[in-house]
Amino acid sequence: MEQLTSSHAPARASHKSSTTSSTPSVAGSVAKRLSSELMTLMMSSSPGISAFPKNDGNLFEWLGTIEGAPETIYSGLTFKINISFPSNYPYVAPTIKFDTPCFHPNVDIGSGAICLDILQDKWSAVYSVLTILLSLQSLLGEPNNNSPLNTEAAGLWSRPDAFKAQLMKHYRPVNPDSA
Amino acid sequence: MATPAFKNQMASKFTDAFNRLNRGEQGISGLITWSQAWTTVNEYLKPRDIKDSLYRRRKRNKADFDGARAAFAIIVRCRQLALVLEAFLDEIRKNFHLIEYEINEYMVRYERDENVELIRMLVSRLLDWYKAWAPPPELGPGVAADYTLAFQTRLFSALPPSFTCGFKSLCAWCLSPEEFPPSDSLSALTPNMGVVWRDFEALGLIDRYESVIASVGYERIEKQVVEVCEGNWAKPMMEELRNWMTAKVVPWMLQIYARGASSTEEARSMLQGVGSRFDFHINKTLCDLRTREIFDIIIDFPDSMGALQDLKECLQRVDQRGALVKTLRKANAKRLLHPGADTKLILSQYVATIKCLRIIDPPGVLLFKVADPIRRYLRDRPDTIRCIVASLVGDEDSGDSLLDDNEPIQPLQQSETEDYSDPMWEPEPIDAGPEFRTNKPSDVISTLVSIYDSKDLFVKELQALLAQRLLAIPEAEIYKVERERRNIEILKIRFGETALQVCEVMLRDMTDSRRMDGYLYRKWKSTMHPIVISKHFWPVLESSDLIMPGQFQSMQESYSKEFSLLKPDKKLRWLPHLGTVTIELVLQDRKLEVEVPPLEAAAIELFSQKDTWVVDDLLASLGNVDRASVVKALATWVNMGVLKEAEENVFVLLEVAEEIDENAVVASSAPLPAAGQAMAPIQTSQQQQAEKMRVYWKFIEGMLKNLGGLPIDRIQAMLKFVENYDQSIEQLGAFMEVARRENMVVCRDGVWRLNT
Repeated sequence: MEQLTSSHAPARASHKSSTTSSTPSVAGSVAKRLSSELMTLMMSSSPGISAFPKNDGNLFEWLGTIEGAPETIYSGLTFKINISFPSNYPYVAPTIKFDTPCFHPNVDIGSGAICLDILQDKWSAVYSVLTILLSLQSLLGEPNNNSPLNTEAAGLWSRPDAFKAQLMKHYRPVNPDSA
Repeated sequence: MATPAFKNQMASKFTDAFNRLNRGEQGISGLITWSQAWTTVNEYLKPRDIKDSLYRRRKRNKADFDGARAAFAIIVRCRQLALVLEAFLDEIRKNFHLIEYEINEYMVRYERDENVELIRMLVSRLLDWYKAWAPPPELGPGVAADYTLAFQTRLFSALPPSFTCGFKSLCAWCLSPEEFPPSDSLSALTPNMGVVWRDFEALGLIDRYESVIASVGYERIEKQVVEVCEGNWAKPMMEELRNWMTAKVVPWMLQIYARGASSTEEARSMLQGVGSRFDFHINKTLCDLRTREIFDIIIDFPDSMGALQDLKECLQRVDQRGALVKTLRKANAKRLLHPGADTKLILSQYVATIKCLRIIDPPGVLLFKVADPIRRYLRDRPDTIRCIVASLVGDEDSGDSLLDDNEPIQPLQQSETEDYSDPMWEPEPIDAGPEFRTNKPSDVISTLVSIYDSKDLFVKELQALLAQRLLAIPEAEIYKVERERRNIEILKIRFGETALQVCEVMLRDMTDSRRMDGYLYRKWKSTMHPIVISKHFWPVLESSDLIMPGQFQSMQESYSKEFSLLKPDKKLRWLPHLGTVTIELVLQDRKLEVEVPPLEAAAIELFSQKDTWVVDDLLASLGNVDRASVVKALATWVNMGVLKEAEENVFVLLEVAEEIDENAVVASSAPLPAAGQAMAPIQTSQQQQAEKMRVYWKFIEGMLKNLGGLPIDRIQAMLKFVENYDQSIEQLGAFMEVARRENMVVCRDGVWRLNT
């Protein structure tokens, strides 16, 4: 089932994005999808992950929070992320960036860009904000060192103490009023 | 010094006077006769003590007056009558102490004995005085009038205040002698009322004490009304009161107000004014009484029909509508609309009020004014809808229904705009308030439903109630579904077909389940009889994580398989915790057949795998249901002597029955909450509301976590992401306040944030 959707999705996505993204009915259906995802996310009560639209007029820009999973090197740290949905979501993956500087092999420390397969070529319409956030949380603990964006971090990964020191050097705690 | 002119004038005046008195007689013989006449006349008129028998006799003696007649003639001729009269009135003043003395004597005795006969005697005695002192009628009406005026003035000022009371008693005695204790003097004298009243009249007492006399009538009426009508509501009393009036009061009135009437016609016209005053007073008194009693009258409805008709009739004459509304509202506030009253009771009193006030005031203005606080109060009660719906469905357990069986079933009436082309149109009653809507006499249910702004609430609650009732029908009494169907059909007439479509589906689910069950039973002898319900059309059922173990699970699975053959497009989701299970336990020494809730059955099923279980393992095998209910399920078996708690949290199956230790049973069963399983599986709308609030909280938590602190209006705006968000900002504020008290959020400078 999943495979079926993922193999068909990109083709359809490209087709649709060119012709119908401006049609209000499609924008409405995207908003509907997003609001149902919001509902699912709110009711899921998964520990350590959360997201919410930035303001009431726009469902396409969200702010998220990811807490490092316990027993990983990121445990106890909280990261803010920006989620931006394209108008042809879910056929195209949302753009996600770290707001809080994150020292991580797959995260660009300057721009906050993330290298995660499901956000690029492996994206499928069955994924949702919830799955993305869960993937990001697990990515923190289990980086993919084969395709690093931050080579310094990838190099230090094998030495937890040095890695932690670098991590804490870049990390800025989340100010509750920053948003 | 006198001038000659003055002397002349004096002389001529003297001559004039002398001539008048001397009447041209010779010498002064005229003057002498005048002088004698003056003395005779004054002597004749002089008021004396009537106890003097000589005086009395002389007064009565006609010849005596003849003697004085000549003297009077001389006085009149000399034009001296006015002077005589003046002297006479002066004499009366001087001698009035005689009368005062007597009045005093009588009144002292009256104050001691309170015997009204004394007053009557006093009055007749006063009349004697009056007659004795009266100047002869030959002197003309002018003199008589002057005398009467003077005498009455003196008399009225001489009568003490206690006389008024005495007089009033006397009037009352005349009206209803039976109410006074018979005394010797009274019973000896058959009161000739005509005489008494004539005496009163002669002395001018009737005019002077008119208000006193009227008050006697009013008081008698009030007494009669209260005596006869209080608490007596079955039949209209007006007729009876009028008859009483005719038989009792009218003769009395005739003597007072129609004295001297020569014909009945004349008497009638004389009585008209006072008669209608008394009639009005009857109306007013009865109206006051019924107004005081109105709350209880409504309670007694329909046995108090008579009282209501009286009230209606009275209100047409007496303007007491405002007082009625005020009294009833006050009584309602005091006796009905308080936490101690059952909602059902309030509803039935409200319905009775509707019916009663419609009798009194068909246009419904009174009802509108009285009903308002009741409706507002009912709206605030959480179980009002439930009560109304229960009575709509005709709960037979609760006995009396709010509905009148005779009332035709009609569709709910919406308040309609006025039809100006209606030839029967009538303007709104004059005391109708601005918000008053002419609700055409609509049926009771429409009125009840209109307590709320929309009927959706009713439909929802109706659904919940129906679900509860359907699921509560035991297997053996499945025919009861038909009764529910009948109810729904009736309700469809009221609420409309579309509103109750959901209920229709629920009923169809019941029959479909039964049919399928029958089919599967024939095919496969299934011992399980599930009810298959359509998730979307039923109210939210309580969910549970219970997993049925062992043979129950295999039963469920095979049933699911059969089901998917029959309905391939549907998927079964089990609610194993609802329903009942009849199981037979076969132990080494005994057999038990019991009907238990599913959780109990599941627990004992696990004991067929091994004899000893720790509670926590049991919990895990049952799918993490809550611990208390598992312990309760185990306690059920402990009570039946099937299990035993060997040590804390460890239960052992008793293959062989043990001597039951009474104390142990009590100890383990007593502290368990009995309510757990007994709770209704359907969520009431209140619970649904709580569920909604839980969703809102999740959203609030989500936004505060990601966006930091937010003011309340931003939270309110953000909550529109929740589907069907319907809370006002005030409600949200109250909700946040509760959250703050539970230390889940903090608020600083109007900005809410999560408490971390």
